[in-house]
Amino acid sequence: MNGVDLDVRAGEIHALVGENGAGKSTLSAIAYGAVTADEGTVEAGGPVGLVHQHFQLIERLTVWENVLLHREPRRGPFVDRARARKIVRDLAARHGLAIDPDAIVETLPVGIKQRVELLRELEREPRILLLDEPTAALAPGEIDAFFATVRRLADGGTAVLVVTHKLAEVTAYSQRVTVMRAGTVVARFETARTDAAEIARAMVGGELPELAARATTLPRPRLVVRDLTAGESTGAISAVSLTVDAGEIVGIAGIEGNGQSALADALAGVLPYTGTIELDGALVPSSAGPATRIERGVRVIPQDRRHEALVLDWNVRDNAILGRQEYPPLRRGAIIDRGVADRYAKDVIERFDVRPPNPNAICDGLSGGNQQKIVVGRALAGEPKLVIAYQPTRGIDIGAATLVQSRLIEARNAGAAVLLISFELDEIFAVADRVIVLFGGRVAGTFARAELDRGRIGALMAGNA
Amino acid sequence: MRRGLRDVGLAIAIVIVIGGLAMIVAGANPIDGFGQLLDGALGNPSEIAETLVQTTALLFPALGIAFAFRAGLFNIGAEGQLILGGMAAGIIGVIVPLPAMLAIPLTLAAGAVAGGVWGGIAGFFRARFGANEVIATLMLNVIALLLATYLIGGPFKQAGATASETASLPAAAQLPGIFPDSRLTLAFPIAIALAFFLRWVFRRTVFGYELRAAGDAPEAARRAGVNLARTAFVAMAGSGAIAGLGGATIVMGMLHRFNTGLSPGYGFIGIAVALVGNLDPLGICIASFAFGVLQSGAIAMQAMANVPRDVISIVEGLVIVALAGRRVVAARRNA
Repeated sequence: MNGVDLDVRAGEIHALVGENGAGKSTLSAIAYGAVTADEGTVEAGGPVGLVHQHFQLIERLTVWENVLLHREPRRGPFVDRARARKIVRDLAARHGLAIDPDAIVETLPVGIKQRVELLRELEREPRILLLDEPTAALAPGEIDAFFATVRRLADGGTAVLVVTHKLAEVTAYSQRVTVMRAGTVVARFETARTDAAEIARAMVGGELPELAARATTLPRPRLVVRDLTAGESTGAISAVSLTVDAGEIVGIAGIEGNGQSALADALAGVLPYTGTIELDGALVPSSAGPATRIERGVRVIPQDRRHEALVLDWNVRDNAILGRQEYPPLRRGAIIDRGVADRYAKDVIERFDVRPPNPNAICDGLSGGNQQKIVVGRALAGEPKLVIAYQPTRGIDIGAATLVQSRLIEARNAGAAVLLISFELDEIFAVADRVIVLFGGRVAGTFARAELDRGRIGALMAGNA
Repeated sequence: MRRGLRDVGLAIAIVIVIGGLAMIVAGANPIDGFGQLLDGALGNPSEIAETLVQTTALLFPALGIAFAFRAGLFNIGAEGQLILGGMAAGIIGVIVPLPAMLAIPLTLAAGAVAGGVWGGIAGFFRARFGANEVIATLMLNVIALLLATYLIGGPFKQAGATASETASLPAAAQLPGIFPDSRLTLAFPIAIALAFFLRWVFRRTVFGYELRAAGDAPEAARRAGVNLARTAFVAMAGSGAIAGLGGATIVMGMLHRFNTGLSPGYGFIGIAVALVGNLDPLGICIASFAFGVLQSGAIAMQAMANVPRDVISIVEGLVIVALAGRRVVAARRNA
């Protein structure tokens, strides 16, 4: 980060946007005081509060214990519990955030956890509030409610800085926007005088790549899932039935933690399940592990690329062939054919613009976006029958994300069945032919592309039938 | 790989520094100590031959340990696998009368099978029940020694002998020497060839690729179709077989009979050798030679420079603690 100037006025919601690695988080950490600037100054007109993207809560404690941690009201050597509850209850009421002070945090839904996180900061009566990707775990309806609260705070004179990558929220809720790229501020806008496209161009420093066109396909059932039940406790799925046709992208909409992991892992063959999975009309036995499924044309883009997808100590070439090592022409008798390995790696690097374009580069040294390109690239190589894509664009920049989404569409055009699990409704709306909403481990609704209804889907995602 | 061999050089340099410090603590002059050590190990052709004998004895268990380590498994049972391999060679070599062309491969195979079974037991428990292979191999070491002590003290005891040992191997089952007036035998080129073979397995074969994947990123490997249970079993059985083969070469090349004192801890020192060699078969060849120098020079050092040979054991122990500790910490962090 270099020579950044930013001012946030009392009473405004100021959006700070930029791609991953642009310097947003560093800037907010400096503003909060968690990181010291090498040069320059930070002036704050009062206490600063910070709400993290990843909640900083103690799950086993109650709401009031989390909100008042280290600032508990005392009576002699003891915590004055009655007063503590009252403080939290009054605070919540003052800000219009309904909450039970005695609830254990781990039992609360994500939206409410965030409320606790926010209350903890509000208790310090900050004049400046920093929100780091605050809506990452919220349903659309919850996002509206959250920003209504933030708006009230701003109206009360608080300066609010929202770090986000969701341009829809920027245009809907902020007054001013600062765009960062590669550690410097590249643009400032009055929100009322700009639009999402202009902000996006400033973020990427040029025109946005276009998403691949959707070709007409002849859908026929490829994946048929019946009564799939898997996983434990909160992240489990129960009795999920769905189909994905060849030449179709089905988007699984839902807030993280509603069974997406269990669904993907059961399909991948790494989580025991009951129910049936059929591929092209033939049963995939529940005892069949990943090897059998790979052989039958199933490819998975796992959610955790660093642990579940890549061998970080290995180079790009060896990672690009992982999963295909058992099959000719890569496998030649007992050995791996080096020529074929080189070709596979080159193919992934070229089709996905992996940087640096060096098959000998160690994966650990690559950026998250380039690591993800390798994972997606090898999953889409050859002619996959079924692609399970779990958050395939998580944490990667807009250009790379568009490339990945385009390649998914191209795989669909070529006849693959794609199950796209994403927490980003915009991504699902842009890419999917059909949308299935997952809530509480069950299918809450199905929508064809022509009848997509953001409000209705958002309500189902939040559990309001 | 070049980086790997540089690490081997660095590790050996650390061994020398630690050894020097240990000598100072023991009240000796480290320059004098290392001088006598090198002179005793490499001063004349027959000393060099004996150093290569020690190199060979360390190379087998070290390669075996690396084989398991590459799959993410810590086999500290090489000593027990080596003992049982030696015992099987000592028994089979005596009771099966065959010409050398057949007796030598058969006797070597007996050692590999016995070690492989012993490693395979730990591998089976790991694959089937997720049992910790460190604990299993540690226990199996004790069982191996007691089993061997019982068998050669009872059923397979040399008729009429007072000591607990097998009868002398017939000449046909002895490994031929390759250097006059030394214990250096065919075991040395076999060990070197094995190292090159393992390097090829790791780098070129599908099996080696999957083994390394299982070791370096088990969850990614599993999702890419690698059967982790089978890999664990094969890695442990193969690791034991290599150590057992080493035991057989000691019996067939150095002792010409089996007794339970055949190893001064080659299976444990092999852990240090494998780690100093950075788990790369060629690096392990270099590290085995370095430790072979320590082993064979230690006696000269004790006699001539008045440095207790225990200094060498201290160095080996510290290397295990430092390098194994680093790997275990790294593995935990990844898990």
